[in-house]
Amino acid sequence: MNFWEILGAWVGAFFVISVMTMLWKDNPYFRFGQQAIIGGTIAHYVLFNMKNVINMALIPISKGHVILIVPFILGLLMYTRLFRDYAWISKYPTSVLVGVGIGVMIAGTLRGQIIDQIKATVVDIFTAGTAYDALNGVIIAVGTVTAITFWIFTREHTGALGASAKIGRIFLMVSLGANWAGEEVWYLTQMIGRLIFLIEVFIKGTLLGIA
Amino acid sequence: MSKEEKGSITMWEKLGNIDYRWLYALSLVLMIIPILNPLGLPTIVSEPTKGFYNAIVDLPPGSVVAVSFQGSLALLDEQEAQFIATWKILFQHEMKVIFYSPESDGEIILNDHLGKIVKPEDYGRVYGVDYVRLGYAPLGEPGEAAFSTNIRGVFPTDIHGTALDQIPMMKDINDHTGIDLVIFQHTACTSVEWPIRQWVVPYNMKCITMTLGCCGPMAAPYYPKQILGFLSGSGMGTELEVLSGNPGPGAVMSDAKNFGVLGLLLFLVLGNLSYLGKRFGGKE
Repeated sequence: MNFWEILGAWVGAFFVISVMTMLWKDNPYFRFGQQAIIGGTIAHYVLFNMKNVINMALIPISKGHVILIVPFILGLLMYTRLFRDYAWISKYPTSVLVGVGIGVMIAGTLRGQIIDQIKATVVDIFTAGTAYDALNGVIIAVGTVTAITFWIFTREHTGALGASAKIGRIFLMVSLGANWAGEEVWYLTQMIGRLIFLIEVFIKGTLLGIA
Repeated sequence: MSKEEKGSITMWEKLGNIDYRWLYALSLVLMIIPILNPLGLPTIVSEPTKGFYNAIVDLPPGSVVAVSFQGSLALLDEQEAQFIATWKILFQHEMKVIFYSPESDGEIILNDHLGKIVKPEDYGRVYGVDYVRLGYAPLGEPGEAAFSTNIRGVFPTDIHGTALDQIPMMKDINDHTGIDLVIFQHTACTSVEWPIRQWVVPYNMKCITMTLGCCGPMAAPYYPKQILGFLSGSGMGTELEVLSGNPGPGAVMSDAKNFGVLGLLLFLVLGNLSYLGKRFGGKE
């Protein structure tokens, strides 16, 4: 390991351990690490974005790509939010952003996320090749319909609607459980990654010199 | 209330009030064991991973693959196994690869990993002929839409400042019609629908995606009709390593994860026992 790799391992280990001390309880070492990491990250992204503005706007404009002045000025207008009397001006660039966003998304959303998904939900039952696939299709269709009925609040959940909403709630809970399990395993991955760093890079590589 | 009842209630309550730091300590020990002594636990390859792999290997050599790389430095542990295995498969099967980054971190990871951990020259791949890096553009989903219709409008040059027209591989590639497969590496759940909206719906493109573990349930509804396969978290990255015969960082991670989750499961069981015991154990 060269000097910079060793320094990186020490700094990395210092901050990883500082964050891990929170598992015991809140302490000054953790708070220092937390604030240093947040500060460093913000500084990195501020500098990175300044570089982007220079490379992607100012330099091309200076070379004659004058059309880029329009988005550049719209970007600058966002800062009017910092002044109460002129904050209304920031609504113009916001409107452009929202308009472009909706324009780009709407067609794909309607077909890809609504029509095609509904089609897949219903058609799968009738086009299934095996009994297992057909059963799967039925479960998805029942889950979709009953989960939607759970969100109908304009009628009291009694009778058929109440029964459907109750079944829908079970499907929603299963779905949220699956999402939460994914989230939990993701946290584990992050933890394991840092443990591998501490063991392989810091302890074995830097302290013991055996990696 | 009898003495027995009092005793049982105390037991359920004690069970529910175990210091959470025991969970941390147990999980840490369970995670460290496989890191020190890899166990090589078996990995079952799921259907979405097979779909992901087949989408690449079913293409003839020389096909053009666009990689929209939203890597994140903070999420590297979750993503590394996925993209390292994917890049190796792409180069092994002689695809022509276009790398571009809609996230700033993506370029930093590409700088660090492509050429150091995965070396295209080891597979006989030449820059500009077999693969190209277009760099970072902070354009989000509208940028994807623009890229699919006019690549040069978003990236007039590659990362070295060379005009795309002067790069042999890019001469005839101007838009989606020159691309055979799009691979998305997502760094947030909110971008999982980008390929559906900007590539699949308008152009019926072949798409596969890599997501974080928590975003898998959001990608699943689109498989296999709209996306041909997907990887969710480092676990499915490990599956791809196994399926493609490219061992990587996923193996140790999976062992540790399988062990680490045992502590969590144990405490889930204890917590539920405590809840059920207090509810049905005759507290009133």
